[in-house]
Amino acid sequence: MSGLLEVRGVVAGYGDGPAILNGVDLTVEPGRVHCIIGPNGAGKSTLLKAIVGMLKVREGEVRFKGESLLGRRPDQVLRRGICFVPQERALFPKMTVRENLRMGGYSLSDKSGLERRMDEVEDRFPILKERRDQIAGTLSGGQQQTLSMARTMILKPEIVMLDEPSLGLAPKIVLEVFEIMKVMADEGITILLVEQNALLGLKHADRGVVLDLGRTLFEKPADEVLNDPRIQELYLGGRKAA
Amino acid sequence: MSAVIQILVLGLALGGVYALMGSGLSLIFGVMRIVNLAHPSLIMGGAYVAYWAFRLGGADPLLILPFAMVILAATGGLLYRLVFEREARSAKYSEMTVLLTFALAMVVEGLLGAAFTNTQRITSPEYATDAFFIGDVFIPKGQLYAGAVSLLIISALALFLKHSRFGNAIRATTQNREAAELLGVNVNFVGLVSFAIGVGLAGAAGALVSFVFSFFPSKHWEWIVILMSLVVLGGMGSVLGTVLAAFILSTVAAFVGFYFGATWSTLTFFVALFVVLLVRPQGLFGEKPELA
Repeated sequence: MSGLLEVRGVVAGYGDGPAILNGVDLTVEPGRVHCIIGPNGAGKSTLLKAIVGMLKVREGEVRFKGESLLGRRPDQVLRRGICFVPQERALFPKMTVRENLRMGGYSLSDKSGLERRMDEVEDRFPILKERRDQIAGTLSGGQQQTLSMARTMILKPEIVMLDEPSLGLAPKIVLEVFEIMKVMADEGITILLVEQNALLGLKHADRGVVLDLGRTLFEKPADEVLNDPRIQELYLGGRKAA
Repeated sequence: MSAVIQILVLGLALGGVYALMGSGLSLIFGVMRIVNLAHPSLIMGGAYVAYWAFRLGGADPLLILPFAMVILAATGGLLYRLVFEREARSAKYSEMTVLLTFALAMVVEGLLGAAFTNTQRITSPEYATDAFFIGDVFIPKGQLYAGAVSLLIISALALFLKHSRFGNAIRATTQNREAAELLGVNVNFVGLVSFAIGVGLAGAAGALVSFVFSFFPSKHWEWIVILMSLVVLGGMGSVLGTVLAAFILSTVAAFVGFYFGATWSTLTFFVALFVVLLVRPQGLFGEKPELA
């Protein structure tokens, strides 16, 4: 089957440095949650950056709905419907919550539509309405993550890519982050998630993608990945997945 | 008591001019992370635009101000395209831009010296030497006008940054360049426009300075210390911080000048720069420096 987003044999790295990705394949299926796992340095974040155009792809192909994304700038990829929420500081710390939301719709040309969509997002995440005039940098870690994820919904994107949304958050808050991801998935948004905590990530995903040393080891349904003995040994600390 | 009010008035009027001189520097640093050592030399450029118009056509520096602003803004845009844009990809960006702006300052100084000689200049519209009294307090019109016009321009800048779509993009780029880019902001264009606005503000400041201080091409070295102390006290990249710092330091300098003599007045800025860097390097509104 052909995916919404297809990555084939991608080789990429930072600047003139060595290649971090050494032939990655990925098929993103519409409406599903995909979790990319792998050890440190496997190239998980690098893959997301290559898709969105923050890194130059040296070899291979990235296609979204059949159209190549190679050579596109991040703002051009965004306008085609792919949002990227980078690791940690995705917000503008000295702007208010509302101003941060408004920046989320920067690429929209329709101004009245923007205000309406901001209201819709606030209705769905009441904490953002409550804190609307608060400076974003003073929000708690969980609230900041809520804001960065909710902000993508203003654009009604087709794909949202989340780079370790649970990083640095307390366990209880991490579950809230996955709840937000579920809300987004229920809206029909296709999710591409990079997660250090492989067990937790796979549990909340439909598809699992395993990267190692810049290559794709395999892609298959998340529960199969969870139960794969190699994966349990390598990334899940040998624990039996529930 | 009236002496205190008198010093306060003079300090605040001058503070407005310093605030305008520093706000462009702060804006450019915020967006581009460039410490533009050539900023005061570009202010000097604005002053010579006003001087030239005054000498040739007797034009009022306040009327020339918008033209000085536009001419310098265009210069800024051109400099960005020719020099700084290509440097943005350099791995040694911070070091290179410091050296570049230092070189640029010398080039501008040299050009101004060649065109206008090193003689001391000042524009002298009527209000520059006029004054009035409120009670016992002596109010020189020139400084009052310069301070007031500065505040007007800074307020316009603040409104633009806070409420316009593009102003928000500039603030967003200052606070988190990568996130801004990911939300669809063309950060290179934001850099170009911010550079043009910043240098345009230098042009406006130059037109005002032209009737407040006498000037000559190499005087910008004196100003760079003053402006650096404002930007550092305010917190690198915070325009609001720079404006507040300008009022604080210029008022303190006025008091120091009154009680200890004019030579000590300039020293206020040196000492402030030194002390702030030692005690509170992030300034009033800057971010804490990251410990590498």
